[in-house]
Amino acid sequence: MKRFHRQFLLGSFLLLLASTGAVMAHRRWSRALPDYGYLTGWVLLGAIILLAVYNARKKLPFLPLGSSESWLQIHIYAGFFTVVLFLIHLNFRVPTGWFEGTLAWLYLLVTGSGVAGLILSRVLPRRLATRGGEVIYERIPALRHSLRQEAEALALGGEMKSPAIAEFYARQLSGFLAGPGNFWPHLLESRRPLNAIMTELEEFRRYLNESERATLEKLRDIVRRKDGLDYHHALQRTLKLWLFVHLPLTYSLMMFSLLHVVLVFAFSAGTR
Amino acid sequence: MSEQLPAPDFDSQSYERPNQKWICGHAAEGKPCRLGPDQGGHCRASSECAPVLEIKPGETKGRWRCTRPGGACETGPLPDGKCGRPISKCSPVATLRTRRGQLTRGVVAATAAVLLIMLGGPWRGKFINPGKLSTPHSGEAFAKFHAGRNGDQSCGACHTAGALGPSGMIFAALHSSPGPFAIKELIEAKAGEMTALDESCQKCHTSHLLHQANVARNISCSFCHQEHRGAGPIAAPTDGHCTLCHGNAETMLASSKIVAASPGGSGIARNFAADHPEFRVQSEKRRDPDTLKFNHVLHLSGETIPKPPNGEKLDCRFCHQPDAAGRYFRSIKFENHCQACHSLQFDPETPDLSLPHGNPDFVSAFLHSLPRQYADFAARSGMARPAEQNQFAQEKLQRLQARVGTGEDFEKRVFFSTATSGPETQVGTVRGAMHALYPGCAYCHEVKADDGGKAHITKPLMMDRWLAHAEFNHAKHSGLSCSQCHQAEKSQMTSDIILPAKQTCAACHSPRGGVADSCATCHIYHTGRTGRFARLKANGQVDAAAGVEPVVIGH
Amino acid sequence: MPPTPPIVERPQRWDAAFDPAMTDADVDRLLAIAPFSRMSPDNFPKRTPLREILRHDTSIRRYRKGEIIVRQGDYGTSAFLILNGATRVVLKPDLPLSLLGRQAPGKKGIFRTLAQLWSPLRPPESFSRARLRQDRGVGARENENNEVRVFLQDLPRVLDKHRTEEMTAGDVFGEIAALSRMPRTSTIFGSSDTAELLEIRWQGLRDLMRSDDQLRQHINRVYRERALASYLRATPLFRHLTKEQLAQVAEQIEFATYGDYDWSGEYKRLAQAGSVRPEKEPVIVQEGDYPNGVVLVRAGFARVSRKFGSGERTLNYIGAGQFFGLNEIAHNFQKPQQPVDSQYTLRAIGYTHLLIVPTRVMEQSVLPSLPRNELPPPISPAKETFEVLPGADPDSARERIGAETLEFLTTNRFFNGTATMVIDLDRCTRCDDCVRACASTHDNNPRFLRHGPSSGRMMIANACMHCADPVCMIGCPTGAIHRESFAGQVVINPVTCIGCKACANNCPYDAIRMVDIRDERGEFMLGEDLKPISKATKCDLCVENHGGPACQRACPHGALERMNLNDLDALTDWMNR
Repeated sequence: MKRFHRQFLLGSFLLLLASTGAVMAHRRWSRALPDYGYLTGWVLLGAIILLAVYNARKKLPFLPLGSSESWLQIHIYAGFFTVVLFLIHLNFRVPTGWFEGTLAWLYLLVTGSGVAGLILSRVLPRRLATRGGEVIYERIPALRHSLRQEAEALALGGEMKSPAIAEFYARQLSGFLAGPGNFWPHLLESRRPLNAIMTELEEFRRYLNESERATLEKLRDIVRRKDGLDYHHALQRTLKLWLFVHLPLTYSLMMFSLLHVVLVFAFSAGTR
Repeated sequence: MSEQLPAPDFDSQSYERPNQKWICGHAAEGKPCRLGPDQGGHCRASSECAPVLEIKPGETKGRWRCTRPGGACETGPLPDGKCGRPISKCSPVATLRTRRGQLTRGVVAATAAVLLIMLGGPWRGKFINPGKLSTPHSGEAFAKFHAGRNGDQSCGACHTAGALGPSGMIFAALHSSPGPFAIKELIEAKAGEMTALDESCQKCHTSHLLHQANVARNISCSFCHQEHRGAGPIAAPTDGHCTLCHGNAETMLASSKIVAASPGGSGIARNFAADHPEFRVQSEKRRDPDTLKFNHVLHLSGETIPKPPNGEKLDCRFCHQPDAAGRYFRSIKFENHCQACHSLQFDPETPDLSLPHGNPDFVSAFLHSLPRQYADFAARSGMARPAEQNQFAQEKLQRLQARVGTGEDFEKRVFFSTATSGPETQVGTVRGAMHALYPGCAYCHEVKADDGGKAHITKPLMMDRWLAHAEFNHAKHSGLSCSQCHQAEKSQMTSDIILPAKQTCAACHSPRGGVADSCATCHIYHTGRTGRFARLKANGQVDAAAGVEPVVIGH
Repeated sequence: MPPTPPIVERPQRWDAAFDPAMTDADVDRLLAIAPFSRMSPDNFPKRTPLREILRHDTSIRRYRKGEIIVRQGDYGTSAFLILNGATRVVLKPDLPLSLLGRQAPGKKGIFRTLAQLWSPLRPPESFSRARLRQDRGVGARENENNEVRVFLQDLPRVLDKHRTEEMTAGDVFGEIAALSRMPRTSTIFGSSDTAELLEIRWQGLRDLMRSDDQLRQHINRVYRERALASYLRATPLFRHLTKEQLAQVAEQIEFATYGDYDWSGEYKRLAQAGSVRPEKEPVIVQEGDYPNGVVLVRAGFARVSRKFGSGERTLNYIGAGQFFGLNEIAHNFQKPQQPVDSQYTLRAIGYTHLLIVPTRVMEQSVLPSLPRNELPPPISPAKETFEVLPGADPDSARERIGAETLEFLTTNRFFNGTATMVIDLDRCTRCDDCVRACASTHDNNPRFLRHGPSSGRMMIANACMHCADPVCMIGCPTGAIHRESFAGQVVINPVTCIGCKACANNCPYDAIRMVDIRDERGEFMLGEDLKPISKATKCDLCVENHGGPACQRACPHGALERMNLNDLDALTDWMNR
């Protein structure tokens, strides 16, 4: 993947350069400049605002503001750079006090969720592509519904009603087919729940005659398809849910940061 | 395998619309109505079509026509114009993105609420306090000082913005100096500039005197003393604070122009072991101007000196005794430290009778009244009858006269003799061992004769402090022996100043040695404040222009 | 048990008649007039007799005064012969775009661009009545055959403002466009009260040409004069020829059109039945044949394959501007004592229009003119292996993109696209930013579906590919679907679209969707017949927007790309990125 390698190398190189520069500047000026805390604070705030502007760009896709891909690369590497700036601004000290402590926690949560999101965005699509199949997330409920109807028709309807299958369906499968399931096993790539149902199906076979076995095969098929659907549901949902942490907390962080600026200057030595 | 996976099965007739905020509730069953929910999330479905009244030309009443997209229904609209096939309303489902927007708005509202509550309520101080205050600035005593201002120990004691509400804080922030947008000033600000906050410090800590007379500018209190760093004593200033000036060549040069620097006083000192200047005592090769003649080598290792009464060899501890705090040493006094050996015996046969020490006039008077002294001595020794005393005195005087000649000569010899040998005397009860000599006063003192031949003995000047700018505590160095720093066994002359050079101290007080080597270990900034220095300056004992001379406190 | 093979009726030459209403009487009438009167039926092969050609491949159309017959820029597959009456062809200056049903070119201004900020508030597919107002210059009506005819309202004014030329009975027009699938060069409308035209579709024209010398020479001459000279000048192979040599080549070049059926409709049917296979496609050059000439593809696509086992293995597909057979002829030219045969088979995929430079002409004029380094090297002796050895054919597409992808693209005919939407499933986080960006630039309406057939990690989403050979453009009655510029994006003008579904049915990839439009409140708009108004919509490659396709720009992970699949360069880069 040469193109993405190139992006990675360029970004890492610039990040390394900037971080080295920042640390060197810190060592040189942290004692010499008296208002060093203010200056590093402004740089950090500027960087955070730059990161937040990405959201604004996403809401303006009709303006030629540059590709979202470039913006995201800048967002990621500038985000990592803010970690360096953050440590420098704090002078490598753990903040005390309620307000500043909360502010630091907010920053860490936002950054942490961002890194988690980055990892998820690179890992999960590959797993979806490897598993195969493709489905649009909003269509999943409808597909699930149709699978369920299909299964019910097989198990409960049909010309030859089979009470055994009907009972088996009601007991084992209707719950499984009712809604999205096995979120965590799918996220952790565990086949255990699927294997459990398959084993149940397998063991149930011995109680059935030929035609019932054919029906059971079809039900088994439906179970596999539903499992594939669940897998997509779980991973796609995760790919959408991590932003539920990253975005609201960013707004909180911005509000706290602005208040921090006010407090710092209001209580600074220069206040008359 | 492809049957078991979600298939690319999609409706070729309609688009998927992830840009819509709400999805029809029936979509989960695969049958979304084609109208879709409105922007507010309300179901818009009412019936399958919206009938239209068609009045053909020539008609008066007209007919309601069905406008269903798939083709008109068989029954058509009801006579009153309503569609006969209603669609059941659904509960529209918010997309994940919409829910995310709702969550974001909620979190923003919650954050605003929290901030307003915390800032508006009585918890404001506790909420925004970035760190506990030091012990001196907490508690009852401090609050008492501010009884007139803030009854509790709140931010307003020091910060002018501390008494303000949120809007006041914004105002204060915008009007601070340098202000929030004055980036240039922030970059160009000089370290240690006096600030408005320092005025609060000086409300209690008055007379913040200058460090030295030649300091170019006042350094701000809050620059060195940083609050809000936790309970306990306030954080100590670091070397960085000191080297702001002392490590800066320009500053030191400028200050040396204000007041002419003492030699070595305008150098840069950033680090004790590396570039702290050598002690001036050593670098200027100063000599002790004391007139009392004393030879440390002789006293410490000489074979001829007698042992002290307790029988041990003479060592530092016999004369140099620490003061109550252990910090420095008591002044040397003849009566405490010298007389035990140097007993001023003028008559070898009467070792218990000695001359008075301290005032030459007393000595003269003594010598002129020798008979009387002898007689008193006889009386003190047990002879009660005056006749015996007189007889004793006569005998002694005859023998003394035979030895020393005339009284005038004798007196002269007592004051001015510097002979290095003399008749043996008895030291205490020890006979025959080393004897301390007393040839004459001039053996130890500087004795000058005036025009009339009268002896004048120069008062010895023994310095108490050689290193006036630094604080040294001998008690902390009790693990060392005296000779590790003070090379007394090499000193024969009184004018030797037996002080260690800087490198002796730096052997331990350096990063390699491992002992504290920060500036504050030995030096103190607020020298103007310690009365000692101010007093000395006022008394003229210290010449500010020439720098600080060694200090004499006692005597 | 192997699955039962699907048995589909073999598509016959005349399964779908061009005009079912052609009667024997009509055919008799035609046979009596020129040029058919002088054609001798004996020249025609038994499979395609003259009578049947006329019956099945022609149609008599009537146009009233002012009705537009063909528009400049339209894609058409028919030629026209004027039987009665007169038409006028518009010379420069061309008719204004609004009269032709096109939308005005150009990008959105600053206000319209910023107004898109409020597009999420609009109901889906909403139009304002003002926007739908059609140009007063043209009107539309249905004639007695229920065909839509667009007519010029103010004909005298048009005649006044534009230079036109009259064409009368016996004149033929549109043959070049029909055969070569080039866009029409001029607008032609009826100028007499009733003009009767014979519309001949291209298959019929081709078969007539094949069997009638005079017609063939006529069309050849017209073709060479009008369509060939400038094209040859631009072809790199001929750039070292002098003017005279070029004229000579133009004189001797042959052109041919291949394809036995209207490939879009039939293709869809066959694809669904799963029986699209190379062996069914018409052969242009057979492997092992004597190389007759260099084949230059002018329009359409051809598949390059080689025998493998008992089937054919696709090695590549070539499209407009590419050539085939040069290596063999150059080899024969350099080593006449060790001649080689054609190394590969060339088949037409769907519709293909070719130029063939005969070997003789190549050897006499073209090859000697090439400098040493441009002359292809001789082919090393053919190795009798089943495998194409790596390095043996460095241009082999298989090496570059893999056999599976090649088959996937060729079977689904995706190589037609100049802006195919390719999504990398390894990078796509399914965030729908692309769809939402498309919606925000199109009044809150997405114009594609983020879903489609996939092969490995490559998914071809269901978005208009802006094909090199735009089948959708054939047959639009109002000119609503048009190309923004020559070989540019295919765009549908919603104002003039009447919702006839011709384009949607034609598109082999289901990229065009019909939508019921609504007004600004969100209520469905109804026509006067009280049926909902529907319009055709599709991706327009953001032709009106600044910055190019919004989907590609909006993808944060670089997963989406609009790719030109006419040749494999872009795809190879993409697969190796």
